[in-house]
Amino acid sequence: MRAGGPLLAQAAAPIVAVLAGGLIASAIILAIHENPLRVFALMAAFNMQPGSVASILTSATPLIFAGLATAIGFRVNVFNIGVEGQYYVGAFAASLAAFGLRGVPPALHLTVIVAAAMLGGLLWGWVPAVLRRRRGAHEVITTIMMNYIAFNIVLYLLGLVRDRHLGSTARIRTPLFPPSAQMPRLTPLLNALGAPLPSYSTLNWFLVIALALAMVVWFWLRRSRFGYEVRAAALNPPAAEAAGINVAQIQFVMFLLSGAIAGLVGLSDLLGRTGYFDIDFPKGLGFLGISVALLARNDPLGVIPAALLFGYLDRGAEGIQAFGSVPREVITILEAVIILAIVVSYEIMGRYVRVLRKQEAA
Amino acid sequence: MVPQDAESTAPVLIELQEITRRFPGLLANDRVSLSVREQEIHALVGENGAGKTTLMNVLYGLCQPDGGRLLWRGRPVVIRGPGAALRLGIGMVHQHFMLFPPFTVLENVILGAEPARTGVVALREARAHVAGLADQYGFDLDLDARVEALSVGEQQRVEILKVLYRGAQLLILDEPTAVLGPQEVRALFRNLRRLRDQGRTIIFISHKLDEVLGIADRITVLRRGRVIGTVQAAAARPPMLAEMMVGRPVLMHVPRSPAMPGAARLEVAGLSVSGAGGRLRVREVSFSVRAGEIYAIAGVQGNGQTELVESIVGLRPSAAGRILLAGQDVTALSVAARRAAGMAYIPEDRHRLGLVLAMSARENLILGHHRRDAFPGGPLLDDRAVDRFAAECCREYDIRVAGPGTPALALSGGNQQRLVIAREFAFTPTILIAAQPTRGLDVGATEFVYRRLHQIKDRGLAVLLVSVDLEEALALADRIAVLYNGRIAGEFRRGEADAATLGLYMAGGGPQAGRAVP
Amino acid sequence: MPLAASAIRLTVPILLAALGGVFSERGGVVNIALEGMMITGTFFAALGAHLHGPLAGALYAALGGAGLALVHAVVTVTFGVDQIVAGVALNLLAAGVSRFLTIQIFGVATQSPGVSGFAPFSVPGLDRVQALAPLVTGISPFVPAALLLALLGQWTLRRTVFGLRLRAVGENPRAAETLGINVYRMRYAGVVLSGALAGLAGAYLVLEQAHSYLEGMTQGLGFIALAAVIFGNWWPAGALGAAALFGLFEAVSLRIVTSSVPYQFIQSLPYVVTILVLAGFVRRATPPAADGIPYRKDGVE
Repeated sequence: MRAGGPLLAQAAAPIVAVLAGGLIASAIILAIHENPLRVFALMAAFNMQPGSVASILTSATPLIFAGLATAIGFRVNVFNIGVEGQYYVGAFAASLAAFGLRGVPPALHLTVIVAAAMLGGLLWGWVPAVLRRRRGAHEVITTIMMNYIAFNIVLYLLGLVRDRHLGSTARIRTPLFPPSAQMPRLTPLLNALGAPLPSYSTLNWFLVIALALAMVVWFWLRRSRFGYEVRAAALNPPAAEAAGINVAQIQFVMFLLSGAIAGLVGLSDLLGRTGYFDIDFPKGLGFLGISVALLARNDPLGVIPAALLFGYLDRGAEGIQAFGSVPREVITILEAVIILAIVVSYEIMGRYVRVLRKQEAA
Repeated sequence: MVPQDAESTAPVLIELQEITRRFPGLLANDRVSLSVREQEIHALVGENGAGKTTLMNVLYGLCQPDGGRLLWRGRPVVIRGPGAALRLGIGMVHQHFMLFPPFTVLENVILGAEPARTGVVALREARAHVAGLADQYGFDLDLDARVEALSVGEQQRVEILKVLYRGAQLLILDEPTAVLGPQEVRALFRNLRRLRDQGRTIIFISHKLDEVLGIADRITVLRRGRVIGTVQAAAARPPMLAEMMVGRPVLMHVPRSPAMPGAARLEVAGLSVSGAGGRLRVREVSFSVRAGEIYAIAGVQGNGQTELVESIVGLRPSAAGRILLAGQDVTALSVAARRAAGMAYIPEDRHRLGLVLAMSARENLILGHHRRDAFPGGPLLDDRAVDRFAAECCREYDIRVAGPGTPALALSGGNQQRLVIAREFAFTPTILIAAQPTRGLDVGATEFVYRRLHQIKDRGLAVLLVSVDLEEALALADRIAVLYNGRIAGEFRRGEADAATLGLYMAGGGPQAGRAVP
Repeated sequence: MPLAASAIRLTVPILLAALGGVFSERGGVVNIALEGMMITGTFFAALGAHLHGPLAGALYAALGGAGLALVHAVVTVTFGVDQIVAGVALNLLAAGVSRFLTIQIFGVATQSPGVSGFAPFSVPGLDRVQALAPLVTGISPFVPAALLLALLGQWTLRRTVFGLRLRAVGENPRAAETLGINVYRMRYAGVVLSGALAGLAGAYLVLEQAHSYLEGMTQGLGFIALAAVIFGNWWPAGALGAAALFGLFEAVSLRIVTSSVPYQFIQSLPYVVTILVLAGFVRRATPPAADGIPYRKDGVE
C-alpha cells in the first residue's frame, strides 16, 4: 500500500462522503417508516428510463456551468458565492440581446447572446472583485449581497422592458425571443445516433458547450503558463510570490472569469426551453453550483460527474416522491449531508496524506 | 584553561545534571551540567545551534530530556509542562511575546489566573495585586494602557510581570534584548537588578557579550550542545568569551581557486528596512557583491538578516536606500522584474518560500522559469521541453525522485534543497542570493551545496551568502561582513579575520563596543 | 406604522443575529452560517409555538439554532475545515432540513400554520404621554429582551472570566493555550452561543412579524447581521448601534417610497449599505486577530 496509499486515500473521500449521505438519508427514511433499500432501488429504476436520462442531462447542464464558475474561484481561494446573482444578471442581459435583435442569422445571434450573458456575469462579479482587491472587502458577504441586489434590479429592469401585449392579469415577462435566438435541441442528433430521446425533451447544445468548456478550462489550467501560475498561487502563495508570480492579480482575473462563466448558467433554460425571461426564471442554480464545485474538489473535469450526480439525485427525488411516497426533501438533505461530509473527509484525508508523505520521505 | 567559578555561597536554586536531549540527526544538549544559585543573574551564552533554546525548553517543561536530571532546591523534579514549571516557580519570558495586543496591561497580566467571584473578574483586587507587584520591582506601567500602544520595552515588562504575578522565583529570559534599543536595555537591566536584589533568580539567554557582561553575575558558555565553562562575570573578558563561544574553526577542505572579482553585480547603498512592529531592522547597510566572488553576511539570527534578504529580493519594501542589480536600480521593481534582471534566490525557509510542496519535483523545477522562452509553446507550456529540462536537472544535481509525479513533499530535505539549487542555478543568473542554504541538511548534502557554490562562483557569478553559521561563512567567503543590530559591524577580506574576531563582532564587540550597556 | 416601530422591525433580528456573530468571531470562528441558524430558528419557533405557545417557540428556536451551530463547531473547530466552506455547506443543510421538517410536520412545504406571538405590552406610565405613545405602546417583549441581551453581552465580554478568555482565544490562541485556556472549548462555546442567538432572531421573525413560518423569510438578514458585526467593531454595543442604524435606514427608506424611486431600489438599500460597510467606506474595522484561522493544537496551522 506504499505508493498507492495516498492516492487511495484521496479517491476515498468522495466515496466516503456519498456513503455518509446515504446513511443519514437512510436514517431519515427509516424515521418516516419506509424501507431505505426499497427507496433507493426505486430511485435507481426510475432514473434508468430514457425520459429520466434526458432529464438528468438537461438539469445537469446548468450545474456544470455553475460548478465550473464556482470552482474557478474556489481554486484560488476566492469564495465567489455570487454565481447566483451573476447568472441572473447574465440571463437578463442575454434576453435583452435575444429579443432586442431581429433579422440576424442564428449563429451570429446566439454568439451575441452568449457574449452578452458572459459580459453581464462578469460585470456583476467585477464589483466584489475590485472591492476585494482594493479594499479587502470579504467576497463572501459582498457577493451574497450582490445576489439580493441582482434580484431586485433585474426585477425592476424587467418591468421596464416587459412585453406590453399581454393582458393585465398575465405574468410579467420579456417579449418572446425570435427563432434565431433558440438553441437547437439535441434530439435530432441523438435520434440519428440511435439513442432516441422523448420528443418533449429540451436537451440542447448547451450541454455540449458545457462539456467542451469544462474540458477547455481543465486543459488551460493544466497546460498553460497562466494555469501553472494559478496552481502555484493556490497551493503556496508565499512561494509563488518569491518566484515572481503576482498572486493578487491572478485571484482578480479568476474572479472575473468566474463571473463570466456564471453568466452562462441560465442560458440552456432561457434559449432551449422557455424562449423568454420572466419573474419565474429558476433560482438556486448558483447555490447548487457551490455543492457541485465542493464535491468536485474544484477540479474542472470533476465538475461533470458531480453535476451528473446532482442531476441524478434530483431526478431520483422526483421519482421517490411520486412513486415512493417519500418527500423529495430527503434527497435535498442527502445532498447537503454529502457536501458537509465531503469537506470534512477532504480535510481529514488531506492531513492523512501529508502524514503519509512525510513518512515516505523520512 | 577556562576559569571556574569559586565565589558565591548562596544555595543552589536549580541544578541541571548531565541533561541530554536528542533530535533526529542532532544532539541538541550533550550532558549539560550547570547550577544556578539563588539571587543571581546567570547568563547562558552561545551561538545559534549551541543548544540554549532547547535547554530552556527542558527547564520550562516544553520538552523532556532524554538523559540527566533536574534538581530544584536539591530535590529531583520532573517538569512535564509549563503548568508544572509555573507551579514550581519557574517562569519564562519568551523571545516572541505571548501577549494580546488589544487588551490592557492588567488584562494581559491576569489572563488565565484571574481573581474572580462567580465568574466575574474581581478587577479591584486584580489591580491592587498587580500594581503592588509593579511598584515593588520598579516597573513603570500604566495598567490601563493597551499593550499594542506600548513600546517593546514596556511590553517586555508586561511579560515579566505576568510571571511574577504567578509567583515565579526563577525567571528565564530568552534573548530579551533582541528587540530593544539601548535605552530600553538599560531600563530592563535596572529592573532585573531590582528583581535580583529582592530575592528572585534570573537566567538570561543571549548572544550579546557586551550586554551579558553588563548584567550577569555568572556566565555559562554553550557550544554545539556542550557546556564549555562557567565563569564569574567579573573575571571574564569579551575575547575570551568569544573564543569559548566559537571555538577553533574546522575549515571544510573544499578546493577553491582564488577569487578574481569582476564588476559589481549587486550594490546595496544606505539600505534601511522596517520589520514587524514598524521598527527598523536594517539600518543604512551598504555593500556590494562582485562577479566571481562569494560575499558572506554573518551574524546571529535576528540581527536583520531576514529583512535584509527580503528587501533585496523584493518581498519587502525598503524604508530608505537603493538596490542595484548589474547597475540597474531595482529598488522599486517587483520580484518578477528583479528575476528578469538576473536575480536568483535560495530562500532560508525552503518549505514556505522555496517550494510548492504539493507540486511535483518537475513542476517545482520550473517555478519562476515558467514564462521563459526556453520553454516554447506560446501561452502553453511545452511538456516535453519541461521534461527534458527536469531530467537534465535531476541528472546534473543528482536529485533522487521516485517518479515524475512525486510531490516535493515526499523528498528528503537534501533532495529538496538540491531541487531549489538546480532551479536557481539554471539560466545563468547574474547574482545568487543564498540564505541559510544548508539549514537542516546533513553533511553530505552540505558538502554538495558548498561545492556547487564554489563552482558557480568560478564561472563568474556573484554570490551573496547569508548564514548564521560562522564556520560555513568562513569556509566559503571571499569577503565577509558581520551584521549586528541591523548594521554592518565590520567587513573583512578572506584571511583578514579569524573566527574569534568575527565571533566578537557578531556578539557586539566590534567598534561599537564602546557604547555597551553599564 | 410609526417610524420608530418600523425601525425596530429590522433592528431586532439583525441585533440578535449580530450578537451571535460577535460571540462566534470573538472566539475566532467566522460564522457564515448565521443565516442557516436563523432559518432553523424560524422553523423551530413555528413548531414550538404551534405546540406550546410563543415561549416554547422561542426556546425551541434557540435550541434549534444551537444544534446547527454545534455541527458547525465540530466541523470547523475539531476537524479544522475551512470556516467559510463549512458555513456555506451548513446554510444549504439548514434550508433542506427546514423544508423537509415542514413537510413532515405541517404537511406543506413552504409554510406553517399561523402561530401567535407574545402579547405586546406597553410601558406603564409613559404610554399616557401623547408624544411617546407610538414608541412605548404595543411593544413586543423581544425588544427589551434583545436590548438586555446586547447590554449583557457587552458586560460579559468585558468583565467576566469567560468573556476575557473568549476574546483572548480570538486574538492569540497559541498564547491563550500557554496560559492554560482550552481553546477548543472556548470556541465551541462561542459558536453554540451564536447559534442560539441567531435562532432567537428567527423566532422574532416568526412570532412577532409574520406569525407563521414562511420559507425564505430570513431574506439574507443573517448576512446583513455579519455586516453589523463588522460595523459594530465586534462589540455587542456596537452591534446594537449598527442594527439600530440599519433598521432606521430601512424605515426611513420605506417612507420615501414615492413614485420617483422604484421600490426595488429601496429594497436593495440594506444590501448596498452592507457592501459599503465591508469595503470600509463607512468605517475602518479591525477584527479579532485570529478570526477565521483554524487552530490546530499540534502546532501546524
